[in-house]
Amino acid sequence: MNYEGNITNQPMQGESQSSYFGFVMEGENASCTLSGDWSIENNSGFEARKEWSLILGNYPAIQVIKFKLDSKIKWDSTLVSFLHKCRNDLTASGKSIDFHGLPAGLSKLLDLSKATLSEKKQNEFSLSLELIDETINYFRNATLSIFSFFGDWVLSVLRLFTGRSQTRFQDFANSCRACGASALPIVTLISFLTGLTMAFVGSVQLEKFNAKIYVADLVCLAMVREMGALMVAIIMAGRTGAAFAAEIGSMKLNEEIDSLRTFGISPMEFLIIPRTLSLLIMIPLLTIYADVVGILGGLVVGTMVMDFSVIHYFEQTQVALQSMWEVYSGLIKSVVFGLIIGLVGCYKGMHSGNDSASLGRAVTASVVVAVTIIVVVDAMFEVSFSYLDLR
Amino acid sequence: MMNNSIEENVILEVENLNLAYDDYQVLENVSFTAKRGNCTVLMGGSGCGKSTLLKSMVGLLSPVSGKILVDTLDLWAVDQDQKTSILKKYGVLFQGGALWGSMNLIENVSLPLETYTELGESEINDLARYKLNLVGLSGYGDFYPAQLSGGMRKRAGLARAMALDPDILFLDEPSAGLDPINSNRLDNLINELKVSLGITFIVVTHELPSIFDIADDSIFLDGQTKTLLDHGLPSHLKENSEHERVRSFLRRGTPIIKN
Repeated sequence: MNYEGNITNQPMQGESQSSYFGFVMEGENASCTLSGDWSIENNSGFEARKEWSLILGNYPAIQVIKFKLDSKIKWDSTLVSFLHKCRNDLTASGKSIDFHGLPAGLSKLLDLSKATLSEKKQNEFSLSLELIDETINYFRNATLSIFSFFGDWVLSVLRLFTGRSQTRFQDFANSCRACGASALPIVTLISFLTGLTMAFVGSVQLEKFNAKIYVADLVCLAMVREMGALMVAIIMAGRTGAAFAAEIGSMKLNEEIDSLRTFGISPMEFLIIPRTLSLLIMIPLLTIYADVVGILGGLVVGTMVMDFSVIHYFEQTQVALQSMWEVYSGLIKSVVFGLIIGLVGCYKGMHSGNDSASLGRAVTASVVVAVTIIVVVDAMFEVSFSYLDLR
Repeated sequence: MMNNSIEENVILEVENLNLAYDDYQVLENVSFTAKRGNCTVLMGGSGCGKSTLLKSMVGLLSPVSGKILVDTLDLWAVDQDQKTSILKKYGVLFQGGALWGSMNLIENVSLPLETYTELGESEINDLARYKLNLVGLSGYGDFYPAQLSGGMRKRAGLARAMALDPDILFLDEPSAGLDPINSNRLDNLINELKVSLGITFIVVTHELPSIFDIADDSIFLDGQTKTLLDHGLPSHLKENSEHERVRSFLRRGTPIIKN
């Protein structure tokens, strides 16, 4: 039986710019002759693929397709990937393909491209039960790991008091310097300007009531109760929390954390305890300092713009600070903020992935998460102080 | 009697170990023993799970099932204190050296000594310098890891791994990335330490010259079947392994011509 094409006597031609394939049907068998220029520059594969799917759709009766190359054909990976696709399409629909007519080099390349493992499909977004399950699992694991991290931290602090800890005083002292003394310039600048700005803003309003001297009360109370602790916390989250995450994350990246573990040295005791404890101690000290500098900022406006005497301004400040509770409430907050910044920074560092992109994400997250928690906790403090009548 | 003496010599025993990263199975049912004072090489193609097995043996990756017995104590079943005391017998060299970047070389080598010994500062310093000399890094004590080349970092990592005079030294691809001279020096050092200090070596490598030079015993892990395919002396396996893949690996893939 040797007749040409039961549909048409003319060879079908799929033609793109310069690549070209001729297609001849012989009953259930078909043969395909490839010719022309199949190269990446020509983008010839795209048109050919369109033709190919048309042919497949139009002639479902085909069982075997034999491929041949014209002698003058020019080809590169475009042709290989096209034939690879043809092979996949045909085998997927239970048909067979005959590559015996191809030159040896090409068939070798095609053999190499045969996938041995089924490729894992990634990033396929579908709202299914599986996705919900994964999300629940993710949150469950995240919660578990946060609690186990915090539990481990508490145990390590307790071990510090029993003297069985691997924490070194030297690391603690270094960390105190890095997150205490080294932060003084930036804390000075920010809190001075905060006090100054509040004095200016307050003076405009208070002038209307002829109560300008209460600027001293305003600046002083706002600084010690709220702004001192909050500004220091936000500076330290951006400065020290991010540094903790970056340091510990890059140590993880370099297997330095693993090498600590293989020596039986706990990263929690060796790296995290000195950092978090130093921050816990340094942040209240910085807050007291910021309170004072902020009040001085107010003083500058009070004396130089509003023409109060220094003594008058200080006397008014003293009156405002009748109860030390105002100062203590700020300090209590600052201790909690310090704990949050330290733990979030170290946690994010310890849980960053093993590539540089995830290290970047960990550092960003350490700042964002810490600042968010700080603002929320600050609000919670104010609400509970107010309900408990602590003022 | 014979059997008894062999068992006494076993320092590390891996029993039916299954390893996985989350859902991805890496190795199945791996069992082997390492004898005291021997150098056991873990070999196999890239991605076959050599480093993963090493990670599990040094206490970093908990196995799905199976045991790792060090002097008959199961590393993954004992409590934290016992685990720490097992880890004290270990020295581990990581692929990239994994030196602590914030400390210079002397401090790197000193830290384990400071943590676990009662030695004085000057003694620790002397010991650390001696270990650095041993790996050919005399005079580099005050350098930081970032100031060193990759090969030097690796050697410094070896000095640190030897800090506590370990019973077992785990080396992850020690000669990868070293020039031939230094690679050969390292092999000689391994052989020297094995004989003079009786250290047991577990070495992950796929550098053939090294394998034949240092191995007293070897295991071949296969990425396709995810199992331990064969074990024995590499020069013996090269000719006599039942598995084509093992023979071909040890011959760099060149086919065996049979007469």
